[in-house]
Amino acid sequence: MSQDQGPETSSQDIHDAIASSEGTGQDFSALRELLIGDEKRVLEELQRRIAALETPEELAAMLPDAVALRTAQDKKLARALSPTIDEAISEAVQRNPQQITQAIFPIIGPAIRKAIAETMAGFVNTLNRAIEHSLSFRGLRWRIEAWRSGVPYAQVVIKHALVYRVEQLFLIHRETGLPLTHVAQKDLDSQDADLVSGMLTAIRDFVSDSFDAGSEAGLRTFTVGEVTVLVEAGPRALLAAIVRGQHPAEFIDRLQGTLETIHLQFATALNQFNGDAAPFEATVPLLEACLDTVLTTDRPGIRRGKLRIAWGIAFAILALLAVLAIRSSRRWNRALESIEHEPGIILVEANRGFRRPQLRGMRDPLAANPMMLLAQMGVDSSRVNAVWEPYLSFDSSIVIARARTLLDPPPSLELELRDNVMLASGTAPADWLARSSRLATQIPGVEGLDLSAVTLSVPNDLRDLASQIEQRRILFNVGSAVLAATARNIAAEVADSFRHLQQLSGDALYYATLNILGRTDTTGSNETNRVLSQERARNVVALLASLGIAEDMMSGVGIGTTDPIVTGDPVSTARVNRSATFVVEFRPDTGGARRLQ
Amino acid sequence: MIQKKICMIGMFGTGKTSLIRQFVHSKFSDKYHSSVGVKIDRKQVQLSETTVNLLLWDLAGKDDFEDLQTSYLRGSAGLFFVADGTRRDTYDQLFELRRLAFEAIGDVPYVVALNKADLTDLWVLQQRDYDALTADRWHMLTTSAKTGDGVNEAFYWLAAETIRR
Repeated sequence: MSQDQGPETSSQDIHDAIASSEGTGQDFSALRELLIGDEKRVLEELQRRIAALETPEELAAMLPDAVALRTAQDKKLARALSPTIDEAISEAVQRNPQQITQAIFPIIGPAIRKAIAETMAGFVNTLNRAIEHSLSFRGLRWRIEAWRSGVPYAQVVIKHALVYRVEQLFLIHRETGLPLTHVAQKDLDSQDADLVSGMLTAIRDFVSDSFDAGSEAGLRTFTVGEVTVLVEAGPRALLAAIVRGQHPAEFIDRLQGTLETIHLQFATALNQFNGDAAPFEATVPLLEACLDTVLTTDRPGIRRGKLRIAWGIAFAILALLAVLAIRSSRRWNRALESIEHEPGIILVEANRGFRRPQLRGMRDPLAANPMMLLAQMGVDSSRVNAVWEPYLSFDSSIVIARARTLLDPPPSLELELRDNVMLASGTAPADWLARSSRLATQIPGVEGLDLSAVTLSVPNDLRDLASQIEQRRILFNVGSAVLAATARNIAAEVADSFRHLQQLSGDALYYATLNILGRTDTTGSNETNRVLSQERARNVVALLASLGIAEDMMSGVGIGTTDPIVTGDPVSTARVNRSATFVVEFRPDTGGARRLQ
Repeated sequence: MIQKKICMIGMFGTGKTSLIRQFVHSKFSDKYHSSVGVKIDRKQVQLSETTVNLLLWDLAGKDDFEDLQTSYLRGSAGLFFVADGTRRDTYDQLFELRRLAFEAIGDVPYVVALNKADLTDLWVLQQRDYDALTADRWHMLTTSAKTGDGVNEAFYWLAAETIRR
């Protein structure tokens, strides 16, 4: 602006200066004004602007443009700022992570999704390509299957291409059947590890019990449709794998290895397990390492090393033959030893010979079959010529076996021979007691039979009938022993049931008696109650007698309040104790034959 | 969380399965009984300071105690006996069942539920029977699987006992 007006203003100024130049001081400054007035003003303006540049306001106005300008030129600015920015971010994360999280969340979610989608797409592509290239005909067939069934192609491929997939693993405490660790493939959800662990243990027990396998043997594999359950047992824990498809034999080795490692690393925790599975969380990585998924395309070829396998087999056969020869002679000796120790068998002569071994001896008919013993010891018994003369052994185990065949004791009964007397203990039905007392002394090697430790068992049908009778009761009014109208009906039912029971009992050599217990509630004195209860019992006995029950098969007792029936509720307790109740007792019917007629 | 195995023992028809049904929601159907002879259910109970996950092994009831499948008892932290208060024989066999169980797995906490307490008119257990149980160290409760009376108490008592050991 000053420059635009410059020429006009300066000529005017010069005129003014000359006109007013009268004093020296004034003249000098007029002269200076005249000579450098313009430059001085320009200088002052520049000074003002430089000062202004140093204030934040001016910088703020300039900075965005300056940064943009510089960034467009080269990367120096970015390089210079980057340490500062790094530091600023880490400071911010430390001070307020929440805010950063919120800020970047919208970016992270889509980014992860995109990454997963890309990986999956790559996986499916690889799979597709592998299948289409190597098995194009099959690929086509699967495509047709996918098209016909409406199932996505990828699923059909996985279904066919899957060799095996370990879906779940359970580490189970062996004794309790409680789960220690459970891992599963991510896409499976299974919340009942504890129940499954329990049932697996129960099924194993069930199988070993049912087939009488030793405690160390047990179910190792079972198959349900396409799923196989593999169970490896260690001394303290079981490792069960749920596998879909055909697993290789090596997988079982790996399970065993894993189980051994766990036994080693967690020995103390396993020994001290009291229901708290927390210490076993550390086994999760070990188990997860076994969660395999193997597709056909993952498998290496099997053509290699066929020759090596053939050589290996030949060598193994030779080695086996040598070992067999040595073993066979050892086995023979051990077999003879076991026969000699077997009760009821006396070996008189044994000759191995070159081709057909010869045996001669004596054998109790109840002794173990010596040929079976040979076979159990691994000797081919069909090639052995054996002659066994029969004899009666008095070895206690043979005598007991003889007693068992003759007496046929129920499984609940133990027999034991002591000083030639047969001791029986446990429970047995009446007919067995009758029969065994008759037969026992006729058994060679048995001089007497001791039944004092045997309790009488009562068959279920008799017991059920007795229970029915014992559930009945005849109720009385307060303070009264008079039989109500309903009493006769109940008594008739009891009489019918008891007659039926007597019939069944007699057939099974039991003798049943009916005890009638008269009762009272707790009101009144003990003496009154005792008399009243006796009267109640007597009246019921008389009623039953009138209905045809023989009096010598009944007994009536008044027990007053001494042994009351106790229900949860005092009112009904009082009511049910104003009554006569029934108790059926069974004895073995020693004079059974007489009673039956 | 602590897990404990509990076995339910009692003769046929005493109501073991009904007691469990009153106490938990069952996952497995009852047909497991006839096949494998045992059915397993789970119930979490909250005791004062711990949560206990009870695994209830419901052994199939038998007519005869000789058939008790003792291999299923292995590892039990507690035994839950059940008798039917309207049938004397189920009470009589408690003592023998306990002897067989202890012979198989040793001494563990146990409780007996005298079940079907709702059937007061058919109830046959007398004072003498309760006295005999108490004298013989049984902890007993009368229960009704029908009304639910006593059921929780019995299971909670046993759970607490297994923790105390």
